[in-house]
Amino acid sequence: MSKHTPKELDLFLNISSHLTGFKTISLLGTGMTETYFNTITAHVNPNTVALFYEACAEILALDGDNAIKDAIKNELIPDGNYAGLGKKIILMWYLGNWDNDVISAQAYTQGLVWDAAETHPPGAKQPGYDSWRERPIKVNC
Amino acid sequence: MQQQTHEYDVVIVGSGIGGSIVAKTLTQAGKKVLLLEAGLEAGIDFQKKEAFNNYMGYLDKFYQTAAKVPNSPYPNLKDAPSPDVIDIEAIEPCKPATNGYLVQAGPIPFGSDAWRGPGGTTMHWLGSTPRMLPNDFKMKSLYDVGVDWPFDYDALKPYYEMAEFEIGVAGNVDEQKGPDVSKDKNYGKDYHFPMKKIPQSYLDEKVIEKFPKGFKVHFNGKAHDLEFVSTPQGRNSIPNPEYPYSDVVWNEDKHKLELQSDKRWNTFTKGYEAVPDQQTTKYTPVGAVWDDHQGHRCEGNASCVPICPVQAKYNALKTLRKSDPKLITTQTQAVASKVLTDESSGDVIGIEYKKYEDPNSSVFETHIAKGKVYVLAANAIENAKILLASGIANSSDQVGRNLMDHMVMLTWGLLPEKGFPYRGPGSTTNIPTMRDGDFRKEHAACISPIDNWGWGWPKFSPGSDVENAVAAGMFGRELKYHINDVVPRQLLLHFECEQTPEPNNRVTIDPNYLDNLGNYRPVIHYSASDYMKKAFAEYKKVSDQIFEAAGVEDFTEYTTSHPDYAEYEGKVYNFWGAGHIVGTHRMGTDKEESVVNENGQTWDHQNLYLVGCGNMPTLGTSNPTLTMSALAFKTSEAILNQLKD
Repeated sequence: MSKHTPKELDLFLNISSHLTGFKTISLLGTGMTETYFNTITAHVNPNTVALFYEACAEILALDGDNAIKDAIKNELIPDGNYAGLGKKIILMWYLGNWDNDVISAQAYTQGLVWDAAETHPPGAKQPGYDSWRERPIKVNC
Repeated sequence: MQQQTHEYDVVIVGSGIGGSIVAKTLTQAGKKVLLLEAGLEAGIDFQKKEAFNNYMGYLDKFYQTAAKVPNSPYPNLKDAPSPDVIDIEAIEPCKPATNGYLVQAGPIPFGSDAWRGPGGTTMHWLGSTPRMLPNDFKMKSLYDVGVDWPFDYDALKPYYEMAEFEIGVAGNVDEQKGPDVSKDKNYGKDYHFPMKKIPQSYLDEKVIEKFPKGFKVHFNGKAHDLEFVSTPQGRNSIPNPEYPYSDVVWNEDKHKLELQSDKRWNTFTKGYEAVPDQQTTKYTPVGAVWDDHQGHRCEGNASCVPICPVQAKYNALKTLRKSDPKLITTQTQAVASKVLTDESSGDVIGIEYKKYEDPNSSVFETHIAKGKVYVLAANAIENAKILLASGIANSSDQVGRNLMDHMVMLTWGLLPEKGFPYRGPGSTTNIPTMRDGDFRKEHAACISPIDNWGWGWPKFSPGSDVENAVAAGMFGRELKYHINDVVPRQLLLHFECEQTPEPNNRVTIDPNYLDNLGNYRPVIHYSASDYMKKAFAEYKKVSDQIFEAAGVEDFTEYTTSHPDYAEYEGKVYNFWGAGHIVGTHRMGTDKEESVVNENGQTWDHQNLYLVGCGNMPTLGTSNPTLTMSALAFKTSEAILNQLKD
């Protein structure tokens, strides 16, 4: 059963997790899921989007992470497939950008790149006086 | 044209740090001031709600702008345009690059920007405040390069102390060392900064620990001790209880400005008050302009350039807000276009300014501001431009000439382990080793800050790291681990080379290039001399030695597609502007060779003073804001004395 309406939102969230390397709970924690989902809807031809989610559904139904990874590499990463959506989704989550534009102030501050780089977005989520003298408190890897 | 009926003691052009220091000092001493500011009214509103909302608007614009360059949070107005690094492009031979506000006549583009608006470029400055060195004031006598200043270091020392109070410098005097630095000589044995030093970063520590004491780097044929010092900076930290001063006050009997400990200006009651005896620290950090309880400590936003969200970093609005509101009148959206003089006496009789309502419309009204004394504090490029447009103050033919900047050669690499950059203020440690020595006879000196923000400046990291990895087909956990491996190991060093005064590096005007209001756009002529290029070559070798000893893998790449490149002995070097726009109306002892005297008073017009980095005869290796602030106090004192007569 789908957790969200429309069901493509689930597909988007789950494929985003595989594309970004972040767990779905981390993606949901950014509060950006619907915004990014709607950004795709607003910018990409509906037929292409529908075909993309059909492909996502098939890939996510595969057995095991390796199979999913291989299928993503072959189906979603090539620039010529689905208007380059695979890469665009990664950049959206990591940088908060669609093409070269910042989607919103929140998209910038919620970019995954800062987490991956073990820091915070410059100008937001400030860690406090003297924090930079120590290793970051949150270490991911 | 509307004549101002009201006459002020002093008319000031520009609300940056220079103009704000003069406005504050003069109004607190009882003088009536008119301040003209080219930028928008909203940026200068000191009512709590309005000031907060306006500043949060800047922050939001910063978040939403893809290229987070220094001017990105701030409005760029057609009626008062700002030079912007985003407009820099390569210049074709004999064809000026006209992208943006500056007309870049070349041969290479001037690499720095500024902001024309309330608070000026301190809104996006980094905040580093090292003093110049004593030897910087006598480059001609010691090294036969450039010119000497009209006074020596000791003459500026009391004003340096005032500037350090005003900016609120955090630093450790005992840790200041390097060539031509000793605590007694440079600071005095009992001197302290107002606040304790901003902690050096974890990254700094990871770099410094790789070099045993006595480690030497070789350049210009000699071995030099590699040293690291904590950088003094205008950024709030813990007030130092040993700092004795509470304010800078005009002493009318002694004809002097003085740092003293008994009273201080209260911004809220708008008057002087006694400092309570029981107060353990005489110095109180100055908070955000909308709420003095915010911004008393740096919170580690790591976005000082372009914007400190809590205003823990100093900006000129903090000084301007201390002006006595009963005595200051501010005209915003008022672009000074011409200084009017009396032909027989040479005295300035007014400043013509264009007042606009809509910043993008070419509709304006012309007014004339009248005072006894006039101060141009509109930044080095604008001051020169206004003087040239007015055809005044130029009997020396030096107006606009000797434009200087620190030419910043960057080097970057990956540390063997994580240093965790992109945290804390932009830089907290510098290498002073190359700041002074006999080598200055042959090539430029430099200061070398360790950058806390990874490869952000030259490579637009970490965004570009993600884009490159994704373009190469990385995704999922492989991508995440790659970013996590690479970005936290990024190291960036600056070699900020002291450009020498060259008469042909200059600002000119040309009636073919006008802005939306019909004011001149500055035409910039700029080049790198062999004295600079040799410095790049020597310091690249220093960088190589540092990287090798620290196990840093070098990723530095210089190309001829970078607009500011130089070739020297068969190799290409790239450099970037430091935002240190200096030297277009230099001071001196000889009216034939300088525009202003030691107090910033123009030789040609007794009631016209120039304030700002344009006054500096040479640049030194210090970030210039502290020095120009010291000079602004010196000028304020001279104006107060002139107004007494």
